[in-house]
Amino acid sequence: MFFIVYLRRELRRRRRQAVFIALGLALGVGLAVTVAAASAGVSKAQSGVLSALYGVGTDITVTGNAPPPHYSSAGSAQTAKAAPPPKNGNGETLQISPGGGAQICDNGHCVNAAGRTYDRLVPPYLEPISASTVADVARLHDVAAAAGVLTLVDSAITYPANSAASPQLATFTVDGVGTGHTPVGPLAAVTVSSGRFFTAADSHADVAVVDSGYAASNNLKTGSTITIKQVRFTVIGIVNQPQNTSPPDVYIPLARAQTLATATKNLGGSVANTVNLIYVAAASAADIPVVQHEISRRLPGDIVTAAGSLASQVTGSVASAARLTSDLGKWASVLVLIAAFAVASLLTMAAVARRAAEFGTLKALGWPIRRIIAQVLGESLATGVAGAAAGIGLGFAGAAIIAAVAPTLSATAPSSTIGSMQQVIQAGGTALGNRTVVVPLSPSITIGVIVLAVILAMAGSLLAGALGSWRIARLHPAGALTLVG
Amino acid sequence: MYKLTGVTKEYQKGRGVVGALQGVDLTVADGEWLAVQGRTGHGKSTLLNLLGGLDRATGGTVELDGANLGALRESELTRLRAQSIGFIFQTFNLIPTLSAAENVEAALIPLRVSRAGQKARTTCALESVGLADRAAHLPAELSGGQQQRVAIARALVKEPKVLLADEPTGNLDEDTRDDVIGLLEHLWRDRRLTLILVTHDASIARRAQRTGVLTDGHLTIRQESPNR
Repeated sequence: MFFIVYLRRELRRRRRQAVFIALGLALGVGLAVTVAAASAGVSKAQSGVLSALYGVGTDITVTGNAPPPHYSSAGSAQTAKAAPPPKNGNGETLQISPGGGAQICDNGHCVNAAGRTYDRLVPPYLEPISASTVADVARLHDVAAAAGVLTLVDSAITYPANSAASPQLATFTVDGVGTGHTPVGPLAAVTVSSGRFFTAADSHADVAVVDSGYAASNNLKTGSTITIKQVRFTVIGIVNQPQNTSPPDVYIPLARAQTLATATKNLGGSVANTVNLIYVAAASAADIPVVQHEISRRLPGDIVTAAGSLASQVTGSVASAARLTSDLGKWASVLVLIAAFAVASLLTMAAVARRAAEFGTLKALGWPIRRIIAQVLGESLATGVAGAAAGIGLGFAGAAIIAAVAPTLSATAPSSTIGSMQQVIQAGGTALGNRTVVVPLSPSITIGVIVLAVILAMAGSLLAGALGSWRIARLHPAGALTLVG
Repeated sequence: MYKLTGVTKEYQKGRGVVGALQGVDLTVADGEWLAVQGRTGHGKSTLLNLLGGLDRATGGTVELDGANLGALRESELTRLRAQSIGFIFQTFNLIPTLSAAENVEAALIPLRVSRAGQKARTTCALESVGLADRAAHLPAELSGGQQQRVAIARALVKEPKVLLADEPTGNLDEDTRDDVIGLLEHLWRDRRLTLILVTHDASIARRAQRTGVLTDGHLTIRQESPNR
């Protein structure tokens, strides 16, 4: 076809200029693709952080407020009134005498703790929430799913028979979860590596699902037993959790957790029919603010947190990287692209000027102006395609370099957030410190980014071609022909 | 074929105006060979541009087969050039990246001739100028005379009514010049073309049927030459 032959020959004749223009476009496009890939990687890291801190699939969480501090008669929060020793739900209390001896007492009958284990299963210092609230939340408009969880810590102090030896403390975290499958909650994103999940039939059974990391550390497998609050649970499944999350060590049916645990606030009271954490998934991202508002209105005493509000509290290198890609990266790409477009346009117009006599000849031969313009636009577009291809290649290379040399990102968030609750519990207190999550930066180039690259290169080449065409349109054939020789 | 009545052409040059043609009256019959002589800068190329619709007269009328070229839209002039007017330039004006055959085909593109038709007519045109064996050669691979032959083939492939040649031998040596003029003369006779040839060479002008002389934009027609 004449059009293609002419185009190809002309690009070959102006090979150096065509390569220069294509490279310029490629640089601009490549930088834009790299920044977009880095930005996507940072977004993915942020999502990973939020998932780690918040749980996969969760848009909103509801927790009970922390109980108020107990003041002395002097009114100082620091001098808390001495409280009676907590019961462990079996009615037992642990009493440490001033001489250092420990006794386990039950209804006034105390025995030496030597050779015994005092086991407590308690929730962290948060107000309990009625379990019926979970169903109320699930019924709200624009709520896709809701799941209630009773988050607990099992602390077992074992006093050796030899009173001279130190007591051994063993703790692990336990989540009481519903036995039906819900798309939200701590089990939403786990995968079973061995055994099975809970079924409805397990609602009141002494069965447990164990995190793979905890199982490996404690030599547990499907069929093993684990003691929770002096009750032997059979391990029916081992699960893998998403990376960088802070899952509990053990999951047991919610009803069993409610039966075995004792309330911290009531110092031995019951937690029956309560949860301390509700995971909520909104019908869509747009519904999150409405759902959050509605839940806050119905549960004024509880803490209702959305993932979006958590995101603004996240600091650390992931936040810095996000700012870097959105500010510096974006503007650097824009500037380089403008420069590339300008160079392409100037070179194309210069080429048209050099070919004025050629175009004058074509006009003399009777070529319509639009045919000549189509030829020039075709040459520009061909250069643009080459620029796009090279730019995408450069973008992939840039993304690979970032993945290879970029340091692992960290994100720090206030540990009053949900996912950090396990850490708070394990730290043994209500201290509201910060929690840091480490996530890798994995730049990713999506189809959308590739399409963007092609559009940018085409836009640059079309702009150059349009300016060249404008020059051709203004060309006076007689005047052009006088330029020959 | 052509009727020019009181044609003037002025160009703006800085603050002043240059009169390239001054009140030119001319009639060219179908099949006639007119040579226009004159020194450089006296309006020869300007006259040719007006005859070919590449430029518009400042005053007067240029008619081709009764159509006033000055009144036609640009698209109509373009179509006219595509169908009816063949140009031959002093510097050949071949597209450097296209072969001899492709340069000739370029003249058929606006006519939307089929691919097979293009090939057939191109081959015929190159054969008529004796360059069928050079069809695949680029202009840089051809001599000056050969390039001008290709240009002649390109002008004739569309079977025009009129051929306008602007100093077709200006860049050629004496022997080649004679060959090219001889070819043009042969083709003029053979195809009964209307040929208007601009030259500063008196010996070439004498071969035409009629000779006009442009001096400072004024055209004077000399008596007819023996070549009929």
